Amino acid sequence: MHSFNLSGKTILVTGASSGIGRQTALTLSKMGAKLVISGQSERRLNEILVELENDEHLAFPADLTDSTQLAELTEQLPVLNGMAFCAGIWKSAPIKFLQPKLTMQLLQINYLAPQALVSQLLQQKKLHHRSSLVFVSSIAAQHPYKGGSAYAASKAALEAFSKTLSLEVAHIGIRSNCVAPAMVQTQIFEQSQNLVSDNLMTQHAQQYPLGIGKPLDVAHAIAYLLSDASEWITGTTLRLDGGLSVGA
Amino acid sequence: MNIEHFLQKISEQFESTDVSQIVPETEFKLLEEWSSMHALLIIALIDAEYNVPFSGEDLQNCNTISDIYNTVQIRMLHND
Repeated sequence: MHSFNLSGKTILVTGASSGIGRQTALTLSKMGAKLVISGQSERRLNEILVELENDEHLAFPADLTDSTQLAELTEQLPVLNGMAFCAGIWKSAPIKFLQPKLTMQLLQINYLAPQALVSQLLQQKKLHHRSSLVFVSSIAAQHPYKGGSAYAASKAALEAFSKTLSLEVAHIGIRSNCVAPAMVQTQIFEQSQNLVSDNLMTQHAQQYPLGIGKPLDVAHAIAYLLSDASEWITGTTLRLDGGLSVGA
Repeated sequence: MNIEHFLQKISEQFESTDVSQIVPETEFKLLEEWSSMHALLIIALIDAEYNVPFSGEDLQNCNTISDIYNTVQIRMLHND
């Protein structure tokens, strides 16, 4: 089972201060990884540092949409064996009322930030041979819903980026994959519940044969893709939906 | 913000419903044309036009168009 272990690996987790990112950091630390966690709130990152297994981890607060902060973050990073890109936002508007500003916000955080970060990591040679990069996409990229055009576009862009990246870095042994979760119980879930109404969300949840997801379900999939157990897997998107799309 | 302008904006979100059917007393969820898409449109319209928070839950709690109007007005007062 050695291949599933993450000991000896240094892994960057972005968006680590809440939701899927926070759970991913906790899970990876339990599996032996040495972490660098990043997020916007220094206070919350420090709280998470305390919760992580053993104490060899580092925290760098950074706004990844700010190019100066992004360059500074990359410079300070040790050479990595992997990255879990979990930073992301969700917003919704029907196309009739969709402002370019909202689309730009979504693209900036969900797509441009990971793209710029990976460019920096490659330029500054911060990725070891056989590194693995994992990006958190969403089933929305393939299965859109009303009001979700800008969000779905940002995640579809991310998936296309990850596939291209997998081609461009294969010769240096680096892999790139996405996980695409359906509804997971996080702050984003509560935010959409508030916007859409409890009733509709409960109806939606009933369509999941295995129920809606937990952040831990996503963290486990990310851990697998970061581990050597997945060393022949690149350029893929692993759908995590509790069976939602099986009968669709 | 006035009720006439509000009614006009609401009526613009419908295709087959006649403008004369959109009055303060209209129980909008009973309109033949009403769908979940209209709920999304009205929530987004309120955000774009009046810049106040108005959720799906809020819309569920409204029965008539004047219920929506009153909720928006209260929210706007809180914004000032």
